Amino acid sequence: MSGGPPQLKLTLPARSDNVMVVRQAVAGLGEAVELPDQRLADLKTIVTEACNNVVLHAYPDDEDGPLEVSASINGDRVEVVISDQGQGFKPRAESDGASLGLGLPLIASLSDDFEIRGGAGQGTRTRVTLGFEAPEASQNGAGEPASAADRTELAVAPGEAVRPVLARVIGALASRAEFPLDRLADTVLLGDAVSSRGPDDFADGLIAVTIKDADGSLKISVGPLVQGGAGRLLRAMDIPAGERGSLRKLARGMETRSASTPEGEAAEYVEFEVAR
Amino acid sequence: MSAAAGGSLGPVGIGAFRLERPEAGPAVLSIDGEHDLHTAPELRRRLDELIGLRDPIVIDLSPSTFVDSSILGVLLDARRRASEDGVTLALAQSDGSLAVSRVLEVTGLRGGLPVHESLEEALAEAVKGSK
Repeated sequence: MSGGPPQLKLTLPARSDNVMVVRQAVAGLGEAVELPDQRLADLKTIVTEACNNVVLHAYPDDEDGPLEVSASINGDRVEVVISDQGQGFKPRAESDGASLGLGLPLIASLSDDFEIRGGAGQGTRTRVTLGFEAPEASQNGAGEPASAADRTELAVAPGEAVRPVLARVIGALASRAEFPLDRLADTVLLGDAVSSRGPDDFADGLIAVTIKDADGSLKISVGPLVQGGAGRLLRAMDIPAGERGSLRKLARGMETRSASTPEGEAAEYVEFEVAR
Repeated sequence: MSAAAGGSLGPVGIGAFRLERPEAGPAVLSIDGEHDLHTAPELRRRLDELIGLRDPIVIDLSPSTFVDSSILGVLLDARRRASEDGVTLALAQSDGSLAVSRVLEVTGLRGGLPVHESLEEALAEAVKGSK
């Protein structure tokens, strides 16, 4: 082998019998760089679930649009990008072998970092990064439940994908943390409030949310926001939410934090916690 | 019952199902190799058929080297329908592949389905439940 770091690109029709092909190709790349067994297993699951989303949701039933996959090794990280040219993740009423919404939570659980970008008419792009070492599971002994990266960073390009992706991811994390039904509904309302903010309030022009699963509660950080963006989001949270008071009351410890982005620019974050 | 050749990292294990229906005791459906969205409908069809026969069922995941969320969805659904129809259905995975173990742990389904640690345990559970 010569040249730069190992990488592959694959384009094939978005059909269910092709998911295995992608899984094997990416696993082959992982094997080539001696990815530890556990991470290789995780990589296969992540790639499969991301491809499933494309096969199930990107294109109309009678159309096999392209499923595009690229994978590369950067130092001790594997980065995989799965994209399509479809209409965004359209919910389907019924599909055989429906995944019951386990797909995205699995990707979130097993990856170190994942990001879904999409919008009306521009296709959907899922980027997943996975380190060679499992974040925590590698330190846990056998018998411990395999734990996932405990933080989910989500950035969605403005558009119709924002609300469903946020609601789904926050809802899934809350459901996994065994939130009762009424609290589950609250978390979705909070997600709606966040997605109601325009892209102008976000420093990167992407609706960005980080969710940390902390022992039965979700710590949610919204941002980086532009200067003044935090105040506007807080005011949006003050709107009445029926008998529950304002949305702001659904969360606890709501506060704003000023920090700088990795690029060194000043930014604001709104942080709050939702407990079971 | 022989395990699939190779572990989770072995050669591509094309998915297959094997059904054993002994004279006495539960029907055992073994899930062998890699299974995903593509084989989920076939698994659903086979489980529908077995549930329709109303005999106790054991699903053995031990020879499987990969299952995705669509397979987990079919298993959850089969378990629900079996219980609605009064059919006992138990699952087992012993010395299974790392990939399958990981998804069962991460989704909480090892305890949630539940998946027994040996085929014997699952067989006993299926027999006990059908009495």
